[in-house]
Amino acid sequence: MATGLAGLAAGRVRGASAGGAGVTDREFVLGMSAAFSGPSRGLGIELYRGATAYFEHVNGGEGVGGRRVALKTYDDGYQPDPSVRNTMTLMLEDEVFLLFGYVGTPTVTRVLPMLKKFQDRGMYLFFPFTGAQPQRQPPYGDFAFNLRASYAQETAGLVDNFVRVGRRRIAVFYQADAYGRSGWAGVRAALGRHGEQIVGEASYRRGTQFTASMRPQVEILQAAQPDAVVCIGAYAACAGFARDAVDLGLRVPIANLSFVGSENLLKLLTEGRDNPREYTDLLVNSQVVPSYEDTSIPAVREYRELMERHDPEPPAELVQEPYTPFPHSFVSLEGFLDAKLMVEVLSRLDEPPTRTGLENAVFSVKDFDLGIAERVSFGPERRQGLQQVYYTVVDEGRFVTLDDWQKRFSA
Amino acid sequence: MKVKKLFQKTLFGVFSLFGFIGLSTSVLCVYTVDTHLSEEYVSNSQDIAKTIADASVDILLNRDLSTLQSLIDQFVEIQGIRYIYVTNEAGEFLAHTFVPGIPEEILAGDPSNTATVERNLPGMGDFVEVGSPILAGVAGAVHVGMDTDLIALKIQRAIGQQVYLISIVFVVGVFAAIWLVNLAARPVGDVLAYAVAVARDVGGEGEEAVDPRHRRVLERDDEAGQLARLFLHCLRNGGPDAATPRSPA
Repeated sequence: MATGLAGLAAGRVRGASAGGAGVTDREFVLGMSAAFSGPSRGLGIELYRGATAYFEHVNGGEGVGGRRVALKTYDDGYQPDPSVRNTMTLMLEDEVFLLFGYVGTPTVTRVLPMLKKFQDRGMYLFFPFTGAQPQRQPPYGDFAFNLRASYAQETAGLVDNFVRVGRRRIAVFYQADAYGRSGWAGVRAALGRHGEQIVGEASYRRGTQFTASMRPQVEILQAAQPDAVVCIGAYAACAGFARDAVDLGLRVPIANLSFVGSENLLKLLTEGRDNPREYTDLLVNSQVVPSYEDTSIPAVREYRELMERHDPEPPAELVQEPYTPFPHSFVSLEGFLDAKLMVEVLSRLDEPPTRTGLENAVFSVKDFDLGIAERVSFGPERRQGLQQVYYTVVDEGRFVTLDDWQKRFSA
Repeated sequence: MKVKKLFQKTLFGVFSLFGFIGLSTSVLCVYTVDTHLSEEYVSNSQDIAKTIADASVDILLNRDLSTLQSLIDQFVEIQGIRYIYVTNEAGEFLAHTFVPGIPEEILAGDPSNTATVERNLPGMGDFVEVGSPILAGVAGAVHVGMDTDLIALKIQRAIGQQVYLISIVFVVGVFAAIWLVNLAARPVGDVLAYAVAVARDVGGEGEEAVDPRHRRVLERDDEAGQLARLFLHCLRNGGPDAATPRSPA
């Protein structure tokens, strides 16, 4: 189990304690378990890079009340068991101040019971990179704070828009785990509100590579004659599905959720192809942050500037497989916004900072301006900061905001 | 190891008895292990299905399907379980572990039926499927598919180990029987050797002239010693001719 630490030196964070475990007079130590290896490593790496860009910016100044923010990281490969082990280590051995930026539903759903088990420690999970429901509702909702919109909101938005443009027969391609089921349930519920049902479904195993054939899945969905397919998966498998769908003649809009990792998906679909448009012109990806291309948005300008200035490297000791980071991506922008809000929450803690003060600090965030159009508020009944979903399509080799569903996807 | 002719039939009988015991024990063992292990696997599967069904009530009523999926994903990691699916009261598949899709045979079945059935799923293999109703069936049902090939392999391994043990006991038993028979035959051989040595005493030097190795049998306090002493007694009282059945070759 490799680890990394951005910011200050690794090790236990006791002594010279200003408050509880995980915080000293000099630093806050946050714990992160995410995919830094395997076919979904791009998600963990990009989320880490975006968050680190902001933390380095803060650490380069006055820090948070004079304290720097350190991020202790572990690789779980997007697998539940390693993420549980990593969490045990972060909570019981490293004694970090809080958990931050976990990646994935199958991982987070297995970690949540641990937070309840050790609730006497007052540990919270902040801004996981998943839109699933378990960390948004009882019995574990009280142990997590979310920034992004949920998968239910993303799938509802996709379904509503597809139905609006006359595409009512919707099929689902999904990862055979809690994440896939979460998205599947979102599509099912949204279709139910329109009096429709999922017309076909096909699944794949988590960890499937882009090189794997998705022919069986495409053939299953082709038989259902869908008007559109909603994919709930990670970029490697979803790119493989989109590739085989085009090759086998399934020419319908293919939607992906924000978790997919849009830039990695696009890279896999277009790299080395003579006709990349054929594989991308029917893609539509929902996002939970605005487009990083829209520099009219203050937070996007700040993000681009800090990414260029710091150009954070992925933790070398965790990243064993080759990976070329993207200068900008939706995932790293989300990590950046997560970090920005995290710093705001930490800055609202009373002295000496303790975990017991975290909840009140979060609930004190009202109409906070992150630098995007939507303002952030939290409260006892509102543990998710953002609600808005954005839709993007590929134009000229990059994801841009979709303005007109009718024009692009009408049946 | 040469067995005395007198005991060859006895040894054959012992060998046959061991063979019969080994064979009958093996057959009984195969039957018992096969039956009990098969029942054990089905019983365990039913317990798992019931556990999921009980846990599903709370999840279906109060929580979301990703939690249910997470639950069955953990159970499907148990060796021998190849698939799990959960349906609601309307027969809709709420969570399952099939990739790339739900097989036609299962889609065509009656999901409310929780009886144990044997299934052949093309491309997947043979399965024993057990079920358990959720909330007495009003909230749906859980079905668990056990890989019969894997169960058969496990049973074969268990049987193989038992038969292997029985075979070892059989072989050891046969060798032990040969050794014991020879042990029992040795005094008879001593008596015979003594008798032959005395009979060869054609020079009339008396039985004292016989090789002391052969005379040791006279000191025995068992039947062999008694027989040797009886032979000596007959010899002394009836003359050498009376005790010498025939001239040795």
